[in-house]
Amino acid sequence: MLKLTEHEKAMLDGKTGKFKQKAMEFNVRYAEVLGAEEFCEVSRATLFIGAQHYLDCYKHSEEYKKIFSEFYLCSDEDIELGEMAPECKVQTCAASCDMWNCDKTHLSNEFSDKNKAYTEAARKMGVKIVESCTPYYVGWIPLMGEHFLSTESSNVVISNSFFGAYGNSDGVEAAVCAAITGRTPKWGMHIKENRYADCLVRVKCDVESVAEWDVLGYTIGRQLPKNVVPVVIGEFKRPEINRMRQFASSISVSSATELCHIVGITPEAQTFAMATGGKPCRHEIEVTESDIAESLSKICDAGSGPVDYISVGCPHLALDELKEISEYIKGRKIKEGTELLVWTDYATKAMADVNGYTKDIENSGAFVLTGSCPIVMREESHKHATGMVMNGVKQAVGIRHQTKVPIYFGDIRLCIDAAVRGKWKEVE
Amino acid sequence: MEKRTIKGRGALEGRASGPAIVFPDSIAGNSGALGDIDGVVYEKGNVNYGISIKDAILVVPCAKGSNGFSAHFKGALIAGVKPAGWISTKIDARLGVAIASMNIPAVVDFSDVDPIKVISTGDWVEINGTTGEVVITKKD
Repeated sequence: MLKLTEHEKAMLDGKTGKFKQKAMEFNVRYAEVLGAEEFCEVSRATLFIGAQHYLDCYKHSEEYKKIFSEFYLCSDEDIELGEMAPECKVQTCAASCDMWNCDKTHLSNEFSDKNKAYTEAARKMGVKIVESCTPYYVGWIPLMGEHFLSTESSNVVISNSFFGAYGNSDGVEAAVCAAITGRTPKWGMHIKENRYADCLVRVKCDVESVAEWDVLGYTIGRQLPKNVVPVVIGEFKRPEINRMRQFASSISVSSATELCHIVGITPEAQTFAMATGGKPCRHEIEVTESDIAESLSKICDAGSGPVDYISVGCPHLALDELKEISEYIKGRKIKEGTELLVWTDYATKAMADVNGYTKDIENSGAFVLTGSCPIVMREESHKHATGMVMNGVKQAVGIRHQTKVPIYFGDIRLCIDAAVRGKWKEVE
Repeated sequence: MEKRTIKGRGALEGRASGPAIVFPDSIAGNSGALGDIDGVVYEKGNVNYGISIKDAILVVPCAKGSNGFSAHFKGALIAGVKPAGWISTKIDARLGVAIASMNIPAVVDFSDVDPIKVISTGDWVEINGTTGEVVITKKD
């Protein structure tokens, strides 16, 4: 039986306005579906909103008020748009296109203008325009025990696993309604008892580079039993945040993992016993070199071949990686007719501009772009491609749902080499 | 025809019936994996690739992939190609949002039987989201 506080009852009864009432009605239905008994207070949220392609079910001319009411608030009635909960720090997640450079990604000004209009409506509601799927690089960091919502699956795994914050992989309607009310069902990863590991993962392969952590995450994800919390142990060098970003993004592609303990890294798993709560694991898996090879056969097409569309930055890159790219690409030119897109958020790009990294990268013919990625921009942005290279397992796997051309996967340097040659060379 | 009744937890009230589509490895929530407008499964490697979810009872072990999971099903609902209902071995947050947002009957959290193992694609399934009862009529 769901218990409500006086404030929650007041929102549900409409005493704080219809905007919050509709959001609270959704929250209550969501809580009942989950079987939650109460709500918790949410202090941070990221929202995958704007002119996203899941809204293609609406006509271009449809009013945003109707779209927001029906899609996010689940209301048959059009509701006047109000404000987000003041106690919840809310910002946008990945955007449907670069805010300033739709021409460089083959999208129309008409589409870009629609996205700007929807984003501006969100800004008026109190949503900060950040457009990042790696918001922790620019200050969105929930602390240990803090309740958050994020529409970016990798950010949920990062925040649960490496910051010790509490959040579920919900979805955009739940994130919007939580941001409006400051409440979400206290269920799943919001409850400490549910956060203990019950599946031991023994890593028996070499893992060191960013790309290796990326493939490892995907491999663990595809081998995990359903509905478990994994704990990872192995003889590997202590990973840093960029490696964990790739790991978190790829484990979220091949599984529904929300929290993955890595002993010694995860705040709640400084020891194996802390991770499991002292209980034996119900499941155990091993990841070997042959499992990694099998994953690579699913992620990267076999052989060598011509490529004309290369994208780096899934999830959005950190400033130190833009420095690395600028140093590797400086003085080189990408092959004519080939596109190299480098993705980050616009705050990080501003720092790259100041440091001269953007200039060195763009002198090669590449573009440093912000806020989006090929998967989110969808087919219109890449339908002309005849061969692709993707940096990021999430991108290399996800783009396959949208295209039939060859897809190769490699680390940042392999991607740049392919862009310069206009050809992917199979890695020995 | 052979009939069997199994019981889970009613997650969203109401009755629904239709042919089952069983997804043993769920459906990816990533952009493009489910057609937002036509409701067709485009996830590479999915056993139900190319099949429409319209008017079916979707049988999954849980959700999977991007947190955009619910949004693609909601888009399909608004486009007029929604499923009739959901059955899930266990509820999770991604699926919970999809069920609540689409506001269609759902039965979840089965403890003594796994619906993935006892329902086959094409079976006729009646679900009661209030009582948690699921009646399966085998297709043969």
